[in-house]
Amino acid sequence: MAGIISAVFHIRDKMRVISLSINGFRNLTTIRADFSTGVNIFYGANASGKTNLLEALFTLCLGRSQRGVPDSILLNWNCDVYRLEGLVETKGRQYRLAVAFQRGGRKKLTLDSVQTGLAELYSHFTAVSAGPEDGEILAGPPSVRRAFLDIYLSQYTPNYLTILTQYQRALSQKNAALRREMDPSPFEPQLITFGAKVMHARQGFLSTLGEIASRYHYDISSGEQLVLMYRPTLPHMKVETSVEGFETLLQQRISEYGDRERAVQMTLVGPHRDEIVFEVGGYPARTHGSRGQCRTAAISLKLAIYHMLREKRGMPPLLLLDEVFAELDENRTAALVDAFSGFSQLFMTTATLPPAQLKELGHCYRVVGGHIEDLA
Amino acid sequence: MFNSAESVERLVNWLARLPGIGRKTATRLAFHILKLPAEEALELADIIRDVKEKVSFCSVCCNISETDPCHTCTDPKRRKDIICVVEEPMDAAALDKVDEFNGLFHVLGGRLSPLDGIGPDDLKIKELLARLNDKISEVIIATNPQVEGEATATYLARLIKPMGIKVTRIARGLPVGADLEYADSVTLTRALEGRQEF
Repeated sequence: MAGIISAVFHIRDKMRVISLSINGFRNLTTIRADFSTGVNIFYGANASGKTNLLEALFTLCLGRSQRGVPDSILLNWNCDVYRLEGLVETKGRQYRLAVAFQRGGRKKLTLDSVQTGLAELYSHFTAVSAGPEDGEILAGPPSVRRAFLDIYLSQYTPNYLTILTQYQRALSQKNAALRREMDPSPFEPQLITFGAKVMHARQGFLSTLGEIASRYHYDISSGEQLVLMYRPTLPHMKVETSVEGFETLLQQRISEYGDRERAVQMTLVGPHRDEIVFEVGGYPARTHGSRGQCRTAAISLKLAIYHMLREKRGMPPLLLLDEVFAELDENRTAALVDAFSGFSQLFMTTATLPPAQLKELGHCYRVVGGHIEDLA
Repeated sequence: MFNSAESVERLVNWLARLPGIGRKTATRLAFHILKLPAEEALELADIIRDVKEKVSFCSVCCNISETDPCHTCTDPKRRKDIICVVEEPMDAAALDKVDEFNGLFHVLGGRLSPLDGIGPDDLKIKELLARLNDKISEVIIATNPQVEGEATATYLARLIKPMGIKVTRIARGLPVGADLEYADSVTLTRALEGRQEF
């Protein structure tokens, strides 16, 4: 564990959440807590609100849930408004962040009391979360993989989110045109321009991710192969395609699919239909992967992303680990925490007693029925 | 609060419907109007009536006007061979302040937005095509640089170019006097794409 201790205290550029107050968020009606640098452990029974605390931290920093759920679901059943407020430090500067959402209304993000957007948050803050639902990244439907990709690629390339938003706007206009039997073609040049940029960014990110994640997976699973392939709805795509290359392919495919799109009144070509194929031990994970294989592979993915973001952003991302140690013994827990070495702040949940070494490094909080008590 | 003055409450409610005006501002405005001398307040009422009765649309450029055709379309000092296409009358007013532009305008009255049910037939495109003849040397498309504005520009360019008329699009990039560091990434990308050689 010496590795962790030295890593925690020798990082100059870091990101940490100093305090958080929560109102009306999932089962957390009113909570206020201060956190320590290093390890913060949320300990409590099932359904006490530990995972919701991690989700609140992620939403505070990046304006949306890591589980990709809509704000109406984040809202407490009995509340009409949720509000998260916190003090977050990054690269030596403190920011006051707030996220507020009213039922039926729009979400409002503020940074130091000034209204802001997602892209601004992504440019300042970075967070990686891992949890039991991550197995879905490999075994679930393609939309889960795209949501996962978008959340982390937006942190890796801040420009990406803006381009993706433009693409999605052009896409909803084209879909509306198809539904209303209007001419969709005026929106197509933009779908091609933005779509090609989205695909190019995804291809680059996934190729690096695949390389790094397969190395981690090989170590964690004692020799199993993890392969990751980007599979857009395009024929003849080369391993390295330029933005212009994607533009040409998209253009071709869109004109081929024109009649079919008009018939089904939906856009069938573009990055919104992208797929990522994972192979574990030589077989496609989605159909042949075991639960355990998918979870281990998902942890390898998150480890890889954590290191990629750390390198790219020049500071370790906020690390949120939900029940990842539940199935591991103490040695493997220590090994995994070591693999996430150099973190500046780690939040983790556990339903069993937290590993002793980790407890020594930080603060322990007991979570009971949506409330939090400082145990340290 | 307004139990004793129902008409004041009606005024507040009405003012609060204006864009950018909340209830607080509406109340402040209503009480300001209440305090005004009668002739001033009625002058406002007259101005509003005039706006509704006298202002209509120019049958040529579709801009708002009190005469038909409007002063811009009949101004002998303007170049008649260049037409600048904009979405709304406000855009034409903004461009008209620029000395560099001395041509004519055409106001579409909106932009393509299938999500809002707005298609080409809902815009003044037929009126624009009717104006295009061999005396027109250039059509400048100055719709807003958003997804819908760009799509409208694409649509118009496809219609007009085959007629042999030069079609141009206003440049997109950095605002003059702004700092690079505050520009968003899409704007910067556009600015880089549109860079010019010294």
